[in-house]
Amino acid sequence: MDQIVQTFIIGLSNGLIFALVALGYSLVYGIIELINFAHGDVFMLGSMIALLLISGVFGVTAATSPLMIVIIVAAVILITMAVTATINVTIERLAYRPLRNAPKLAPLISAIGMSFVLQNIALLIAGPANKSIDNVLPSVNLLSYIGVNTVELSFRQVFVAVVTVPLLIGMSWFVAKTKQGKAMRATAQDPDTAGLMGVDVNRTIAFTFLIGGALAGAAGVVQILYNNVTVWNLGFRFGLNAFTSAVLGGIGNLPGAVLGALVLGQINAFSDRYVAANWTNAIVFMVLIGVLVFKPTGLLGQQLADRA
Amino acid sequence: MTAIVESERRPGGFAGWIGHIGDVLGAIPGAYRDALRTHPLRTTLLSALVILGVFYPLLNRSVLQGFSRNVFPLPIPDDTVVTFMLIFSIMAVGLNIVAGFAGLLDLGYVAFYAIGAYTAAFLASPHFGVVSIVLLANVPQGFPGIHIPFWFIVPLAMIIAGTFGALLGAPTLRLRGDYLAIVTLGFGEIVPVVFRNLADVTIKFNFLFINFSAEHLNLTGGPLGINPIDPPYLPGLGITFNASAGFAPVYLAMILLALGVLFARNLERSRIGRAWMAIREDELAAEMMGVHTVRTKLLAFALGASFAGIAGSLQASYLGATTSDFFQFSTSILVLIMVILGGIGNIWGVIVGAVALQYVNLTLLPYLGQQIQSIAPSFPNPAQFNFLFFGLILVVMMRFRPEGFIPNRQRAAQLSAHVLAAAAAERGEVVGLDNTGLDIDENIELAPPGQSEVGEDARAAETSDEARDL
Amino acid sequence: MTLDATPDPTPAPAPVAGGAMRTGAIPDDQLLVKARAVTKRFGGLLAVSDVNFDIPRGAIVSLIGPNGAGKTTFFNMITGLYLPSSGSIEFDGKPIVTTSGKKIRGKKPHEVAALGIGRTFQNIRLFGTMTALDNVRVGANVHLRSRWWDAALRTPLMLNEETANRAEAMGILRLVELEDRADAWARSLPYGDQRRLEIARALATRPKLLLLDEPTAGMNASETRDVMSFIRRLRSELNLTVLLIEHDMRVVMGISDRVTVLDHGQVIAEGPPAEVRADPKVIEAYLGRGAAEA
Repeated sequence: MDQIVQTFIIGLSNGLIFALVALGYSLVYGIIELINFAHGDVFMLGSMIALLLISGVFGVTAATSPLMIVIIVAAVILITMAVTATINVTIERLAYRPLRNAPKLAPLISAIGMSFVLQNIALLIAGPANKSIDNVLPSVNLLSYIGVNTVELSFRQVFVAVVTVPLLIGMSWFVAKTKQGKAMRATAQDPDTAGLMGVDVNRTIAFTFLIGGALAGAAGVVQILYNNVTVWNLGFRFGLNAFTSAVLGGIGNLPGAVLGALVLGQINAFSDRYVAANWTNAIVFMVLIGVLVFKPTGLLGQQLADRA
Repeated sequence: MTAIVESERRPGGFAGWIGHIGDVLGAIPGAYRDALRTHPLRTTLLSALVILGVFYPLLNRSVLQGFSRNVFPLPIPDDTVVTFMLIFSIMAVGLNIVAGFAGLLDLGYVAFYAIGAYTAAFLASPHFGVVSIVLLANVPQGFPGIHIPFWFIVPLAMIIAGTFGALLGAPTLRLRGDYLAIVTLGFGEIVPVVFRNLADVTIKFNFLFINFSAEHLNLTGGPLGINPIDPPYLPGLGITFNASAGFAPVYLAMILLALGVLFARNLERSRIGRAWMAIREDELAAEMMGVHTVRTKLLAFALGASFAGIAGSLQASYLGATTSDFFQFSTSILVLIMVILGGIGNIWGVIVGAVALQYVNLTLLPYLGQQIQSIAPSFPNPAQFNFLFFGLILVVMMRFRPEGFIPNRQRAAQLSAHVLAAAAAERGEVVGLDNTGLDIDENIELAPPGQSEVGEDARAAETSDEARDL
Repeated sequence: MTLDATPDPTPAPAPVAGGAMRTGAIPDDQLLVKARAVTKRFGGLLAVSDVNFDIPRGAIVSLIGPNGAGKTTFFNMITGLYLPSSGSIEFDGKPIVTTSGKKIRGKKPHEVAALGIGRTFQNIRLFGTMTALDNVRVGANVHLRSRWWDAALRTPLMLNEETANRAEAMGILRLVELEDRADAWARSLPYGDQRRLEIARALATRPKLLLLDEPTAGMNASETRDVMSFIRRLRSELNLTVLLIEHDMRVVMGISDRVTVLDHGQVIAEGPPAEVRADPKVIEAYLGRGAAEA
């Protein structure tokens, strides 16, 4: 029983990080029906940038004072989000926008190319080996304070929730309530009509990439602080997990993406623990194929994009 | 050529077929003269390329290697590289059936390559040492493992890879293009994982009176893969086609490629090829005209997969070893880039793409790497960042020349519309946002009668494009 | 079926006179299409509601009605593109759609095409970058028997079939007077030629029933007259039955043996053109209540 709870906690942390990245896939797919293959790599860049900032620029070690760590982590999150948002918008401008009128598979192929470009830029700069940082978050079991020692809920796992949950809620609020969010939904429904109604379609799409990139950046920071390690090709597998989450929840559907990510986090954790870690990826892909074949609309159906 | 041989009704059966082959062979000189007259530049260039290709191994030995060793080091592909150019050409021709003819994006093509390779590994190696099955192979009777000659493995690999293609395609080919791409990607990732992980399998089966148990079976060799695999062997001439056999494997690969090209070309110019094109153009209209679209797409998928089966079995037999590490997502993408770079839909184009890309990948980049390292050792080695270039190729090609460098006329007209539109936008003309981006034909369909000459213009422009390239 | 321009020796069945044109009044063996209680819902929208519809063999039947009346939806149900929500459709004595209890089974479009229904599209849907000849040859695909191995090896079966298929396709192109454009890309043809090529492609499926979705849309008066005489020729020479969707009332009244009027998914009138034209319900549907009363 303890093991199951423990696995569930790990799965929840995984799932929350997936959710941030899955939202990026879902937003972009919802609005331009593109599987933004490079999105996982933007997340990877986010974790690389965070690593550079934390250990290189700010020189945080386990000895840095807690207050400083809080301030620095907040700053790192904001800076990384800004940088990855910029990267994502630039990618859209260079690799996807010129293909708006091209056959549908052209932007997908371009996105795959972009994914390789980003990976190899990271490889060029960071090298082929895993890059790791010191664990700067306190490694205490919070449950030990209430007398539970058989299950661990670490501070890091709480940290994941503290960063991701507000971002997820904020995101939902943003798309549902703000003018820019309405423009996004209108463009997702019908870009031509949205354009005629005065929505600046190009700007709205760019803005979608901006948000997606920022969320991926935040996810990158969270992942480096949670796992303390990153590598140039992290984005491929992670991205496919996140994409699977988005599909599982119903691509284009934002609450669905979060739900899918939480489910997929559990699938990962339980597969690692109870099947075998070297089968986990295959299992994730089988879930992906199964959902696409049998229920392509996902668990919650397609919401943002109803044009399929 | 076709006009000559298709003018009268032929007798059926094998005799008729042989007669037809005779007709075709007899018509070749005339057809070649015609081609030389109508497309002199293209025909000459292509002939020169073919001749150069056929004699390359000899040229390499007699002249190039000596020059490179004694005078100045040149980036010359050796026999192994040339063999891999040809192996990947076979794959490119196969993927071209799927992506070029039928318009389906397969991102997991490497899975079928892996299936072909493991077919050879299972059927021509000591791996299954518990049994000893030696059929006509160049190993002593009683030798452990299964040993079947390469010549039987190739058709088997085709059938097995094709079957897996059909099995994957059957439930998935109803999906939209981008979903299909992701499903195939997933399949391409699962297959190597299965080969990597099935090294320690325990099967216990106990049902009614059937009781079966086998523990710790090593089915696939795990991460180490399977070796040694028997090389292809020609008994009459006593030639072994392995990596140390000089140029013999080059010619083996060349023959397999030639057969593959013939096969693909014949399919393209048949009712099936027309059905593929129709599906690519307008799937719904094709279906309404009686084309069984799912079955026709499935056929493209299975036949394309069988080409990868050939390539895989050749690769494994030639190298004498296979491991799951050979079969990465990046390999699928490499083949896709070959197809796109060369000219999607054009058999000759994709072969040129495969040869060029393998040259860059296996010879030019390592060569540049060496040269750079000798001058500036700290400078990054371009060979390690090959996919930086390949990724850029994809992005740049999609943007500026989606039809590839040796385009198929039809594909060019379908693919390059947005490039023309972008050029128009550059000139200040307003271009509507067509986010569904299906095809440009809709503009012409909806155009009033007077504007249909647009199509003529585009076609004329396209034709001159082609003339410029070759 | 002969596809050269010589008239078919067997005369087309004489159009049945007015009174017998009502649905259900014609014996089943003279019917090519028999649709009963066909209903189609899209979500909450009732696009076609409980429609009974007959097409006698050899007739030219028009389906008319205001925009959104459900004509194209009905077309798409006959051709298997949409599965009705309920009802049954029979073609040439064979079921296309059958309902038993709650279970509705329908044939797929390619199966319907193989049964002998050819169609054109409201917005021309040719295979743009295939030649005119190849467009027609795709239409004949359903009658070709060669398999992929025949194609790959170019067996005599395949080669003979291809030769015959090419000749047949050229014959059809001659019928629509496009034989000299056989090697031109479909999308490079002028609009009128594209319309005719689409009919040619449908004819290549060797249909018994030809469905034409607004064949004269976007045409001027003389082109329209050409299309009308062409449709009549198709009936007399190829023994075809024709179902038209048409907005141009001159065409409808000029060539139809029988007209069915749909409005809001329901049949509001049917019969010979003259009768339908005078029907107050039809005038109302087209022009509004006031016009009918005036």
